[in-house]
Amino acid sequence: MFHTAYLKTPRAQALILLVPAFGAYTVFAIWPMIDVVILSFQRWNGLSADRLWVGLDNYRHIFTHDPVYWIAFNNTVIWTILSVIFPPFVGLLLALGLNEKLFARGTMRAIYYLPVIIAPIAVATMWRWMYDPFFGLFNQVMTSFGLQSWIQDWLGDRDVALYSMFVAFTWQNVGFSMVLFLAGLQNVDRSLVEAARIDGAGRWQVFRHVTLPALQVTVTIVIVLSTISSLKAFDIVYGMTGGGPAQSTQMLALWAFTQSMQIFDFGRGSAISVTLLLITLAVVVPYLRWSQKREEAAR
Amino acid sequence: MTALSASTVRDEEKVVRLRRDPLLIALWILLAAVALVWIAPFIFITFTALKTGSEIMTTNAFAPPSTVAVENFSGAWVKGNFSTTFFNSVIITVIKVPLGLMISAMAAYALARIKLRWNKLLLVFVLFGAMIPFQVMLAPLFTLVNSLGLIDTYIGIILPYLAFGVPYQVFILHGFFNAIPKELSEAALIDGASHLTTFRRIFLPISLPVLAALLILDFVATWNEFAMALVLLQDKHMWTLPLGLMSFQGQFSNNYGQLNAAIVMTVIPAVIVYLIFQRYFVSGLTSGAIKG
Repeated sequence: MFHTAYLKTPRAQALILLVPAFGAYTVFAIWPMIDVVILSFQRWNGLSADRLWVGLDNYRHIFTHDPVYWIAFNNTVIWTILSVIFPPFVGLLLALGLNEKLFARGTMRAIYYLPVIIAPIAVATMWRWMYDPFFGLFNQVMTSFGLQSWIQDWLGDRDVALYSMFVAFTWQNVGFSMVLFLAGLQNVDRSLVEAARIDGAGRWQVFRHVTLPALQVTVTIVIVLSTISSLKAFDIVYGMTGGGPAQSTQMLALWAFTQSMQIFDFGRGSAISVTLLLITLAVVVPYLRWSQKREEAAR
Repeated sequence: MTALSASTVRDEEKVVRLRRDPLLIALWILLAAVALVWIAPFIFITFTALKTGSEIMTTNAFAPPSTVAVENFSGAWVKGNFSTTFFNSVIITVIKVPLGLMISAMAAYALARIKLRWNKLLLVFVLFGAMIPFQVMLAPLFTLVNSLGLIDTYIGIILPYLAFGVPYQVFILHGFFNAIPKELSEAALIDGASHLTTFRRIFLPISLPVLAALLILDFVATWNEFAMALVLLQDKHMWTLPLGLMSFQGQFSNNYGQLNAAIVMTVIPAVIVYLIFQRYFVSGLTSGAIKG
């Protein structure tokens, strides 16, 4: 029979193996990405039959007439810069420490990694309660240390809220960087470290000239992953402040969602999404080229 | 002989260095102190969950509860509609995770072992998806699922979950399959086995450790997912655990005991899975990301 004969060709077998994954991926991941670009040139409330073509109107509106867009943009930039610096840096310090043969280092690694596996929305809920101005953990601890003057409405003060939220984000994400750095430290050549030691190099010199160069690849990967995950910040903002007070914690991902799914302006929401997409591509494309080159060099 | 004694001397040196090195002792104290800070939120939440309303307002945050207020848990369970959300989360996770792993493994095998003209292109195509934040696509995803009439259905959320799990898993499994010696599959193929058989009989069994690691990671990711569920599951009866917790926060925020009990109940499944499968997390995370 034709069917069974055809099935014996590698091409047909490849199709059978590839279609489920690539089918789902193309329809539910790639197509929406194309559709968001199309939507960004249209006016649509998400329900009516016709999607009206309006050219660049949505972009013009978000750039010039939407007072929240640039706040969200700035907050996203601040957030990204902070999350590229702090969680990886703390993660690196922890990894360096926990790479030494210390008592109970396995337990400590587990503790630092634990918040990573908690749902971000649960982290948001936890920390919102800890930031409660009256009964929350933070103000209680301040009071018991006699630091009443430090007491804050952590999420209610627009100068502080973004940074309060970032502390929670750091708590959740440090473990992720730490694990990647711990894995990277496995690549550090032990004999090279010992040789440097014997030659009289101090700890700092060993770190600077042996460990850090060996970690170069890991550093790049951690920084790119941190950038991408910070651009995705959605759950934690939605769950902790909803973008408030007075939009002071608003970010692009949440503002795009709000425009589309709550104000029902799919065109403007999509235009915001597209700008976020372009920022992400500016990080991802160079990274993909870099890793391709690295792979070819390794061959 | 000389080598042996040299290494013994070095070991002794190491022990002495460990014992005496004040820097390492200071380091340990520092790391342990920070670790305490790291678990403090869990302790605080658990204590609060076990306190009565009046005790929360009168006692210190880290004071253990005097009486165990179990009614916080039963109250939160009912008010937060946990039986529904828990059930939905279980259904979605139990179907999505193994199915997603299966289709990813199939595709990864084909990309690694069957020579096609567009192998490389497909790999870049799939890797690209692992990097793009799906948050930018929430609106068109809603549009798509809505036009298929699948809003508020299990299929309607499982299909997008499958799609967004594919890139990372294919990428990792492709790397793993690629590293398996060619001789292994070629022998089977020469003996007349099809690619489907080779995949099922040879590649699946030897990749069990990687599959286990990915299974755990994907379980946690699916269990925790919030944004897509928020958009695609509008009906309360279809909500998953994270959606339930979120609405709980809004509705009952003045009952702190119940709120914290709800947090504990949401967090505990993930914590248990983590504590059991700890080592798989690390290997799963790092097997693809860092190869030296």
